[in-house]
Amino acid sequence: MGALSNLYDPDEILWTGCPCGLHATIYEHKAAVEGVDARGRFYAAETTTGGARTGAAPGPMDALSDLEPPARASRDLDWKDQENVLANLATSAVMKGLFGTDMNRRNFLRAVGGTTAAAAIASILPIDKAIANIVEATGPLEKTALNVGFVPITCATPIIMAAPMGFYEKYGLDVSVIKTAGWAVSRDKSLSGEYDAAHMLTPMPLAITSGAGSAATPWTMPAVENINGQAITLAMKHLDKQDPSKWKGFTFGVPFEYSMHNFLLRYYVAEAGLDPDQDIQIRVVPPPEMVANLSAGNLDGYLSPDPFNQRAVYDGVGFIYKLTKEIWPGHPCCAFAASQKFIDETPNTFLALFKSILEATAFSSDPANRADISEAISPKNYLNQPTTVVQQVLTGRFADGLGNVRNEPDRIDFDPFPYHSFAVWILTQMKRWGYLEGDVAYSDLAEQVYLATDATAVMKDMGMSPPTSTYASYEIMGKTFDPMAPEAYVDSFAIKR
Amino acid sequence: MDARKKILKIEGLERRFPAPDGKGETQVFGDLWFDVKEGEFVCLIGHSGCGKTTLLNIMAGLDKASGGHVLADGFNVEKPALDRAVIFQGHALMPWMTALGNIDFAVASRWPGWSRDERRAQCQKFIDLVHLTGSEDKKPAQLSGGMKQRVGIARALAIEPKILLMDEPFSALDALTRGSLQDELLGIVAARNQTSFMITHDIDEAILLADRIVLMTNGPEARVCEIVENTLPKGRNRSDMHTHPNYYPMRNHLIEFLVNRSKSFKQELAARSYDPKSPPTVRPGAPSDRPNKVAS
Amino acid sequence: MSDEMKERIKAIAASVAFLGLFLLAWNVFVTAQNGPAADMDPELAALLGPQAKGQSALPTPGEVGAEIWSHVTNPFYDAGPNDKGIGIQLAYSIARVLTGFGLAALIAIPLGFLIGMSRLAERALNPYIQLLKPVSPLAWMPLALYTIKDSEISSIFVIFICSIWPMLLNTIFGVASVRRDYLNVARTLEVTPLRTAFRVILPAAAPTILTGMRISIGIAWLVIVAAEMLVGGTGIGYFVWNEWNNLSITGVISAIFFIGLVGMVLDLILGQAARLVAYAE
Repeated sequence: MGALSNLYDPDEILWTGCPCGLHATIYEHKAAVEGVDARGRFYAAETTTGGARTGAAPGPMDALSDLEPPARASRDLDWKDQENVLANLATSAVMKGLFGTDMNRRNFLRAVGGTTAAAAIASILPIDKAIANIVEATGPLEKTALNVGFVPITCATPIIMAAPMGFYEKYGLDVSVIKTAGWAVSRDKSLSGEYDAAHMLTPMPLAITSGAGSAATPWTMPAVENINGQAITLAMKHLDKQDPSKWKGFTFGVPFEYSMHNFLLRYYVAEAGLDPDQDIQIRVVPPPEMVANLSAGNLDGYLSPDPFNQRAVYDGVGFIYKLTKEIWPGHPCCAFAASQKFIDETPNTFLALFKSILEATAFSSDPANRADISEAISPKNYLNQPTTVVQQVLTGRFADGLGNVRNEPDRIDFDPFPYHSFAVWILTQMKRWGYLEGDVAYSDLAEQVYLATDATAVMKDMGMSPPTSTYASYEIMGKTFDPMAPEAYVDSFAIKR
Repeated sequence: MDARKKILKIEGLERRFPAPDGKGETQVFGDLWFDVKEGEFVCLIGHSGCGKTTLLNIMAGLDKASGGHVLADGFNVEKPALDRAVIFQGHALMPWMTALGNIDFAVASRWPGWSRDERRAQCQKFIDLVHLTGSEDKKPAQLSGGMKQRVGIARALAIEPKILLMDEPFSALDALTRGSLQDELLGIVAARNQTSFMITHDIDEAILLADRIVLMTNGPEARVCEIVENTLPKGRNRSDMHTHPNYYPMRNHLIEFLVNRSKSFKQELAARSYDPKSPPTVRPGAPSDRPNKVAS
Repeated sequence: MSDEMKERIKAIAASVAFLGLFLLAWNVFVTAQNGPAADMDPELAALLGPQAKGQSALPTPGEVGAEIWSHVTNPFYDAGPNDKGIGIQLAYSIARVLTGFGLAALIAIPLGFLIGMSRLAERALNPYIQLLKPVSPLAWMPLALYTIKDSEISSIFVIFICSIWPMLLNTIFGVASVRRDYLNVARTLEVTPLRTAFRVILPAAAPTILTGMRISIGIAWLVIVAAEMLVGGTGIGYFVWNEWNNLSITGVISAIFFIGLVGMVLDLILGQAARLVAYAE
């Protein structure tokens, strides 16, 4: 987008999302007008060329690849001066803030003329300063000693194992990974600046940014940690109730309100015709207490992060009823999150941290490494769990509590790419269940918080293969989710608030 | 006429309290006029409720008068001062300090510039004076009632006050202890020529100790009925005091006052003239006194 | 041997006998729950914990004893930011408690003095004190975290705010009920207000103040465990939470033992201090 464009040219399309309103999705819009390369607003790769997009990994984006515009090699090769690119990126961000939509920008520029506009905007906005921040992102680390919070669950694997396995060190960082009692505390410690970055649940940065559950503070989610890896566990006494339609009156635990656990559980029971606010009770319970509550009969089941599903089996108090990958294969769960302030103030440090997380995530993703990782993260300093429990989660060869040993290699996987469409789905569920009210700027919020474009650039730079689009469509329990029509998606549910 | 200096003068003293029903005020006592001369021992007797303790507190400066004033050595008494030492009814020793510590607290207050040794010497002198040698380091809880009040006396005397004010200091003690303490106090006061004022309701105590006895009628609106001069000569002691011919006239006069006249003072006034500024002085048992005595 | 000594030995013997009976009952209770080992596929058995194979969830006294012993013999190890020896954790907690408690004492005692000396101030402020006194530490915590934005200072603040009230109330009460006689003695001796405060009112009120401090340190120790469980990081409360996170009942019981032990020592210390300032009227 803007990195290679003349921002003061009214015919240039600057931002993703269908800006003219004539097309159903951005892909159609792009195809109809003229494709532009997606560039991060934070990161500028030193070596990017027009050919960088080739060789994208096959993935959930395959269906959309035909919508991708052809590479515009001629313009990309015009990049002589990296600083110009960076300056353009910053100006793009400023103008986005100024005009809100591309339509506004273009109308304005047409009316007053590009040069006049440039002078006028430069006179009232500190564009130079904004550019400086990003230019510095190629300089030395502002600080090396960092505190990164984590909640001791297997979702945090990349954040945790990056410490004992040396990924932080590799990028010149001295990171203390600090165990945190729960997500509310993790959020509060992140907001207070005690943590430079933290393991959060994917909905949390959206909630923090939009001010749901805390004071609104601009937050970002540079990377997803894990996909899949959760499960619905039921108490042993419900062996005969392995059907959600029999769950009326059940009490379920979820780890946090703004969690995929909450939204997936609600989705799942609603698909079975139960209203999650009427027919069952959903309680926020810290994960370690879930097992004890299940055993005491206070909970009938829970949708929780591992190792607490596996731990219930290990302790003989529950059985794994359904892995969440069976509800939505490839759903996101936990995330690596940082404040906008951290990125703005220490861009080089952030970049180093981001890269180490991306590398650790890639390493975690390889099934060959899972056994070693289990050994590394089980001790008291990290998860504080029996190694066999962690290993069953990470390798996917596990006892399900019904006497079977199951083999599900993709029980949990690690994929850092923060699709904007993940955020949009989460926002539709927040809207659906009343956590957000009024008009929700789905893609604006998604693109502000989920740094998918930055992730694309950084991943390419690191030789990884990010997907070619930041939006994807999903099929969840037979229902299709179109990220470009979120409001229609919310409306399509029979059970909602 | 006694030419000694009047070191303490009570002039038209009055004290009112808000009435219990909340309306108006009740006068406890009023129009009190009397004095204490240098080196003299004056006792004031009266029934409970006539405001004796209130009067002493005003004299000490711990309480305020509603009218009139107290002059100590010519100065108006407005607040407590080191020239007027008080011996309290309950000994009022600080229980966390030793006997010596209690006395030292007073001495250090009187002479802040004194060294430790100077203070110690002063304390020891008065500890010896009240026969407490050897009990210096005991806490009050380890001392008997009599010993505690001895510490109280030593504490009051150790600051070498011009006037010693005592509020029924021996009333809480048993008869034997009280007797011996009275003897000792008499000896000390006489030896030091200590100006003293004591409130009591014990007639024998008053006859033994006092040169003059102020009789206070019952409250409310208590007045000084008269002032009785002790007709027993100085050098009295408890063992043979009762053999003196004036003892019974003195005693009977005081008992008569406490039993009858303290209550009927108002009717008595109707029958005779009374100048509150100079209440009549009586000398029971002295022949020359007869003419002055009120006919009964 | 004196009767006193005999009594004491009897009491100790009874204590030991009671403990022995308790441990025996505990052991019987736990072992009785252990069923026979189920016949299970060895591969599956390797994936399950002892509890799923019929063992009791409760540890035996022997297991707890071994755990406590392992902490006692190695109290100061440091295996990373989230795994430190119990000695280090207790030191963190005690340091927080003493800081919060010390600050509370520093404010409560002088303030209580001023309020206690003025009947008006006492009446005016008492409703607020009574209102704030019963507020739970866990209710203060979010407010503290949100406004102070530092979990370390927040936990100290929560200790401060929870331990200040008993000290404040007892100081007010102690000062207000100093016998009039003592104050009158000081007045007749023309003692300066400051000297009266330190030589008369303070020692007179000291036993009451110390009682307040003793209640406060007990509360502070209760609060720190709760606060550290919430904010984590370091301290005995975090230690308990970490054991709980691992669902290790053995670890939780041994932590309870250490919490009780330290609480008792803190109380003993203040009890001794109270003895020093006690007096008999």
